[in-house]
Amino acid sequence: MSALLGNPMVTTAALPFVLGVVMALLARFALPPSSPVLSLVVAALLLFFYWDTLGPPVVPPVAASQKLIYLAFAGIVAGLLPERLLSAAVAGKLVAAMFAAALLWLGWRRLAGGALDLQMIAALIAGLVAIVGVAMLLSLRASPSPAAEEPFLAPAAMLALCLAGAIISVLGASIVTGQLLGSLAALAGGWCLVQYIAVLRGGTAAGWSKGAELILIFAAATVLIQVALLAPKANPVALMLSPLPLAVAALVPGPLRGLVSGARPLRPLVAGLLIALPAILAILTALLFAPHGAALGFS
Amino acid sequence: MTTNNRETDVTMRKLTAALAFASMCAFASAAHAENYEIDGQHAWVTFTIKHGIYGTAHGQFDAVKGAIVMDKADPSKSSVKAELDVGSVHTAYDQRDSDLKGPDFFNAAEFPAISFESTKVEKVDDKTGKVTGNLTISGVSKEITLDVTLVNEAPAPWDATLTKAAFTATGKVSTADFPMAKAATGFGLGPDVDIVIDLEAVKK
Repeated sequence: MSALLGNPMVTTAALPFVLGVVMALLARFALPPSSPVLSLVVAALLLFFYWDTLGPPVVPPVAASQKLIYLAFAGIVAGLLPERLLSAAVAGKLVAAMFAAALLWLGWRRLAGGALDLQMIAALIAGLVAIVGVAMLLSLRASPSPAAEEPFLAPAAMLALCLAGAIISVLGASIVTGQLLGSLAALAGGWCLVQYIAVLRGGTAAGWSKGAELILIFAAATVLIQVALLAPKANPVALMLSPLPLAVAALVPGPLRGLVSGARPLRPLVAGLLIALPAILAILTALLFAPHGAALGFS
Repeated sequence: MTTNNRETDVTMRKLTAALAFASMCAFASAAHAENYEIDGQHAWVTFTIKHGIYGTAHGQFDAVKGAIVMDKADPSKSSVKAELDVGSVHTAYDQRDSDLKGPDFFNAAEFPAISFESTKVEKVDDKTGKVTGNLTISGVSKEITLDVTLVNEAPAPWDATLTKAAFTATGKVSTADFPMAKAATGFGLGPDVDIVIDLEAVKK
């Protein structure tokens, strides 16, 4: 058992995927998706992934990677606020402000160094795109009669961002953050699979509550920013493309309305593909322009 | 002269004598302490670490700078201050070098230098000693002790005005003491890292 849990592929991909499935089953059969208990489960899983990949919290945090778990905790505190507060118009702006503060805290050593190199410019742009995307996504209001794709928007955006971020991170020589993003991608993947099976069976998919959405997307986006700031060989173009799924997910419902009307099971797939497009471009860019000798593993 | 004036005069004389003695001691100490600058072109800071269940990985820092104060009469007054450029680490494989410079290990973007500053120098015999000091990697300081040997000190054969001293130092650190611990454990590296330093220093 300990050998199984010591295998990074199990802890990075298989276990988070299974936990995503369990979380989705909980939301379908045991708890309403808006339940604060579900947000607590999400928070506990997130802290487990952070602890497993980054180690226990360091007091006081010195390096950016040591700050990530504190940022995740800040996201959890905000995510556990009452749903009516998180659904208010001001929530998006609040999260954008939180995100901007996180970007400054993670990057202050580099910013204080004053080196405005290509990587730093890419990190700032990626951070800005993520801030706008997070604010747009969290500002989306739930429709009274939601379309089939609506519950998938945030999970698909997180899945796409995390998958692209994980590959960019590992190729860019930051393996631990790659593992962390891989875990989050697998968690979102497990959730999406269960919900999509429910749609195929004629049911309705459950979406994330605003709290769970905030907790998970804030965590994923801050880890991506850490990659952008510190991974020495991360592809700058891929980095700038990777947070775009957040904004695309917020924009998709409008154009999709008249696009595949009637084809209910197809709608989440089309929405997912549109959301994933910038991430696919980011992955291709990272793979095609990978530095000499870069591999999806440790050297 | 009043009693008060006589007391003041005696006190002043005692103070002057004490100051003179202290100055002589300080001068004598300064006279024995010699300053050296590490010759970056002739400095090899190397390390080895166990690579999983297989072999031993080797690495080296190319960019080294620093200063040494050597007091042969009283070695405890000697000191060492050195800095390594993390960007200069190499292990004979580009991607591994990038990994080492990345946030999982030395984190060059946030902490571009590794520093060592001695806190205690002890003489073992005429040529060897122990240098204890703080090694700072990625913002975390840990006390380590290096076994140091003065290999030679002599004027350069081509320039009598240039005197160089050569030192060898060995020591051990653990990845568990620094922010790279999690990554190192995850990939089966270490935790013990053996350090071997060979360097020359120019007398100033």
